[in-house]
Amino acid sequence: MLIELRDMFKTYEVGTQQVHALRDISFSIEEGEYVAIMGPSGSGKSTLMNIVGCLDTPTEGSYLLKGTEVAALDDDELAEIRSAEIGFVFQTFNLLPRMTAFQNVELPLIYGRAARQTRAERVWETMDAVGLGERAHHRPNELSGGQRQRVAIARALINRPSIILADEPTGNLDSVTGEEIMQIFRGLSDAGNTIILVTHEQYIAEHASRIVKLLDGRIASDTMT
Amino acid sequence: MSVPGTEIRQGIAKAMEFRETLLSSIRTLRSHKMRSLLTMLGIVIGTGSLVSVMSLIAGLNSSVSAQFQSVGTDIISVSRYPWVQMGNSDEFRDRKHITLEDAAAVGRLRSVGLVAANIHTRRHLAYDGRVMKYTLVTGSTAEYEIIDNYLVEEGRFITDLDVERRRQSVVIGADVAGELFPVRDPLGKDVRVGGRRFTVVGVLKSKGDIFGESLDDLVIIPITTFQKAYGSRRSVVIDCSPAEGVSVERTMDDIRQVMRARRRVPRGEPDDFAINTQEDLMSAYNSLTGVLYFAMTGIVGLALLVGGIGVMNVMLVSVAERTREIGVRKAIGARRGDITAQFLIESIILTGIGGAMGIAGGVGIALLVKAVTPLPAEVTVGAVALAAAFAGITGVAFGVYPAHRAGKLRPIEALRYE
Repeated sequence: MLIELRDMFKTYEVGTQQVHALRDISFSIEEGEYVAIMGPSGSGKSTLMNIVGCLDTPTEGSYLLKGTEVAALDDDELAEIRSAEIGFVFQTFNLLPRMTAFQNVELPLIYGRAARQTRAERVWETMDAVGLGERAHHRPNELSGGQRQRVAIARALINRPSIILADEPTGNLDSVTGEEIMQIFRGLSDAGNTIILVTHEQYIAEHASRIVKLLDGRIASDTMT
Repeated sequence: MSVPGTEIRQGIAKAMEFRETLLSSIRTLRSHKMRSLLTMLGIVIGTGSLVSVMSLIAGLNSSVSAQFQSVGTDIISVSRYPWVQMGNSDEFRDRKHITLEDAAAVGRLRSVGLVAANIHTRRHLAYDGRVMKYTLVTGSTAEYEIIDNYLVEEGRFITDLDVERRRQSVVIGADVAGELFPVRDPLGKDVRVGGRRFTVVGVLKSKGDIFGESLDDLVIIPITTFQKAYGSRRSVVIDCSPAEGVSVERTMDDIRQVMRARRRVPRGEPDDFAINTQEDLMSAYNSLTGVLYFAMTGIVGLALLVGGIGVMNVMLVSVAERTREIGVRKAIGARRGDITAQFLIESIILTGIGGAMGIAGGVGIALLVKAVTPLPAEVTVGAVALAAAFAGITGVAFGVYPAHRAGKLRPIEALRYE
């Protein structure tokens, strides 16, 4: 089992009140699955994604990632897990504006302590895979939205993570470009990658083979498509 | 949890591997040129004044120590005025003259070795249509050569016979030889010193200059001739050296007793004459450079503090502006140390560039001072290294807090930041 959440709670303290962002979440994801997490805003899907992506830790319960209890790890250990196991794709791309596409894609390799010689090769390989070869030395502001998201996907793939976490990856794109991006995810899934897609759009979620719906911090449904 | 120090050090070691951090820091600083420049100003001023003042002091030191060597080291000089005057000098004006008889009495002391009385005035010199104005004319004896460490380049010094016979002999300094005798050999020529005719018997070796003042712009004539020509109503300076095996202090005590007795200074009253030694000059000089060092330390310290606070401020702003970037970096695998190192390097680059500008400016000032004023200046590697070190240390000291803050930002909050 790649991901195993057990009786997981995430609680925030707002003033004296406790707000339960996630309550009693239990589910697991196997290697190679393509899962969409759906839900209206405030349903807790972002919180869930943050925890699954090791950006945050649960207040209660257990999260096993490849058998490792993530809930007990400190900042740097979480960073190492993110570096090795997780590739993020954000709605707003989140590329570093002063760096070229190439440098953006290379950055996770640097944090992953990859040797300089192997880095360039890996970057070219990955950028070609998302169809970006000739735009490598452009800055994000010289790229179209679709191209930016391709750079972001290449950056997410560069360390060959166990999980690709995409948070509304088409949210800032027109429908045609969005469809192209979804085709890339389709291809990645077919190649055996595990993908978790967070969205509130049904037609986007339908690209996935399994849809988990959240409501008020609980799992409302978990269905195969 | 690891210790913060090790965490930062490891981070730096790793960060140094990739010049991306360096380049991205430089890119950031370049995109905020004005802000970066203003921030660096304190560092520029601090390092600049450090380099320029240290260069000036180094220049003074080497010129002064060379100078002190050219004058005899054990010389004791008795005169109406102290060499180094503090405060109001009017009180010296009413003092009684020192006479040749005083010099003779000092010379009779057992603890005194050589004695050379000397008198000074300034006169115009002339030879064959060439004129030198207000040249120092010294009347003295043969002993003056040894006590005051003069070396004869050509011919001879004033002799006992010159003094005894009140000869119109003159020994000329290197400047005078160069000015009045650009092509001819000065020996045996007749020059006019204050309108009177003297025959050149010797030319002195150059003693160089001190604080831009040449020590070679002088002529020396027999003291007896001096008195006959320019009058005897002048106070005499008594230069002497201690006798073999006698300490300078002991000799000075003896001289003081004799002089007080001869000048009838009542018991308990201070001396109405001065006994000068190299040490007086040395200590005056040292207290001068001490003041300079003290002032410099103050300026440098203050400028670096102000500069450092500026750096900290600009780094805190930079951390705040780039919160989202920090979040992204953390999301894609940056550890706390990676982020801390990045901002620390940025801070060091900021002060480093400021330091480089300051060093360049300081060197420029030192060279300018050397070129347009008589003050010497010597840019030393030590001064430059010290300034560079200070700039770097300021970068680290004031960069640590903002960098630490950046490093410990929580990724989800940083990512949410707009």
